[in-house]
Amino acid sequence: MSIMAYNGGAVVAMKGKDCVAIAADRRFGVQLQTIGFDAERIFRVSDSLFVGIPGLATDTQTVHERLRFRTNMYELRENRKVTPKVLSSMVSNFLYEHRFGPYFVEPVVAGLDPKTHVPYLCAFDLIGCPNEPEDFVVSGTCEEQLYGMCESLWKPDLSPEDLFETISQALVNACDRDAISGWGAKVYIIEKDKVTVKSVRTRMD
Amino acid sequence: MARRYDTRTTIFSPEGRLYQVEYAMEAIGHAGTCLGILAEDGIILAAEKKNTNVLLDDENFFSDKIYKLYDDMVCSVAGITSDANVLTNELRLIAQRYFLQYGEPMPCEQLVAWLCDIKQAYTQYGGKRPFGVSILYMGWDKHYGFQLYQSDPSGNYGGWKATCIGNNSNAAISMLKQEYKESLKLDEAKALVIKILSKTLDTTKLSPEKLEIATLTRKEDALIPGVGKTVVTVLEQSEVIKLIEAHEKLEKEEEARKKKEAEAKPSTS
Amino acid sequence: MECLIGIRFKDYVLLAADRIDARSIVVMKHDEEKFVSLSDNLLMAVTGEAGDTAQFSEYIAKNVQLYKMRNDYELSPTAAAHFTRRNLAEYLRSRSPYQCNLLLAGYDKGTNTSHLFYMDYLATLVELPYCAHGYGGYFTLSTMDAYYKEDLTPEEGLALLKKCIAEISKRLIVNLPTFQVKIVDKDGIRNFGENDGIVEARKLANSS
Repeated sequence: MSIMAYNGGAVVAMKGKDCVAIAADRRFGVQLQTIGFDAERIFRVSDSLFVGIPGLATDTQTVHERLRFRTNMYELRENRKVTPKVLSSMVSNFLYEHRFGPYFVEPVVAGLDPKTHVPYLCAFDLIGCPNEPEDFVVSGTCEEQLYGMCESLWKPDLSPEDLFETISQALVNACDRDAISGWGAKVYIIEKDKVTVKSVRTRMD
Repeated sequence: MARRYDTRTTIFSPEGRLYQVEYAMEAIGHAGTCLGILAEDGIILAAEKKNTNVLLDDENFFSDKIYKLYDDMVCSVAGITSDANVLTNELRLIAQRYFLQYGEPMPCEQLVAWLCDIKQAYTQYGGKRPFGVSILYMGWDKHYGFQLYQSDPSGNYGGWKATCIGNNSNAAISMLKQEYKESLKLDEAKALVIKILSKTLDTTKLSPEKLEIATLTRKEDALIPGVGKTVVTVLEQSEVIKLIEAHEKLEKEEEARKKKEAEAKPSTS
Repeated sequence: MECLIGIRFKDYVLLAADRIDARSIVVMKHDEEKFVSLSDNLLMAVTGEAGDTAQFSEYIAKNVQLYKMRNDYELSPTAAAHFTRRNLAEYLRSRSPYQCNLLLAGYDKGTNTSHLFYMDYLATLVELPYCAHGYGGYFTLSTMDAYYKEDLTPEEGLALLKKCIAEISKRLIVNLPTFQVKIVDKDGIRNFGENDGIVEARKLANSS
């Protein structure tokens, strides 16, 4: 079994019209045994910027803590907020620094630029190769299922409400076809002046 | 005589003094004044900006003399600015390292103590000069609440209810001794800061451009009810002007009252 | 083969650990202590590679005590758990990783809350209401799912824990004859239950 699928879990993010959404499931497991139902894989970096870190749970925690160290220092030294592009470079550099002993995570950055409010998405592989598509990004153990759901549900210029519905359906239905992700989901809808967090129920088994 | 003993920081003079450290303290005596007062519901730090030039482009900075260290702590510095930049960077790193290790914000005194260990090392190990910087720290932690600390080039530090570093600090401290009262509120502390600075700064009239004032208070987190959050505010220029005006008005009234009393006295006697 | 169980309730935490010390197919010891007290209100239970458990838990315990001596106040359970994780995570990617699984139970006197942390040898830290390490998990998690309530009294909590131990004794092929039970609450750490907290697993299984 792949080390990337040791704990299970998935993250998906989508662009809408002047908004982005990022969502993740809540299961924490060790191989096929489910241990916790309130795992956090999405972390807030600044007001309208989030990073989702699926993969090996210990590395999710380590990468989150180390990124927080770097973003905090950046904000203090530069006296400005981290923008999505900056965070992307940071994540990419950080992961590549460990090229020959990588952290087993494939992070997703989602957010709005603090000045221009332009939506931004980026996904990485475990050694930091960035991928910035114009529609959606998926990552985690049910990546394949998520691709299928996103390909069929996503449309350009979705409103925040429609985006929430689309991303929730995509995640819930993808997780239902994956034994090691699910147990509910958390969805963040990021708009220019507010962030809405919603809990979504999935099959609880 | 002194020449033989003050060339290196590591050497005591026959009187048991470390000249380089004392000179560093001397350097701070010429730097812009920093004043801190601990109130019941918050803390206030005020700093005097020495070089205010209209051509200076300082829009990019949080503020000139007051540095944010992490969410719960802020400091202001008096002394050599380039030395101060090195130290504030070190302070920020120490705080972030603690956060990485324990997942909790660093308690204030620990941060001050850590930095002072570094400052102390520069008074002892060879070939180095001490940092010419004194620092005032204000912060909040869950163990002791609001706290005000001061550290100097020797690596000494202490916690204070109110204190002052830099130019004319002795005059300010003796005034603070008289004016400070227990259970002071933040609003009263603001007025007190202006009062003391107006009397101790070399200028005859306080100008708002030369002052930088920041407060640190606590409020409930907007996102998580029941959880507190530290709020650091750098006062707007307009508010500083208001404070100065209020002070001047009070001063005038006081003067008028004294005058009246003086006039009234001879007539009754 | 070894087994740790932890359950967190509203204002106390129960930890149970088996007392077997085995080298391959040989049981070396029947009264092994798998608990380490980090401070007055912080208890750690450790299993894993024999030398690593002792070395690592002692290292953490001494550092937690050092923190208290240096600062006059203690680390909160959450901070101590983070500290433990940070260290294990750093060793994980070093040349000599420690291989130990642990449970951390604590009572935070500052906020008056009880905490239970689960951490595996990869340094995955999770705060949970109840959890188990080792094969015991396969037999006990469902029991705890069914009977766990946050506001059980310590006696009821112990009864639930005994249900779990009975199940392990009855269904698991490995022979774990006795368990040590400890409680962590505002008054500190104590052995809990009759017979100084030692539970005879086989007797329980036969009577259930």
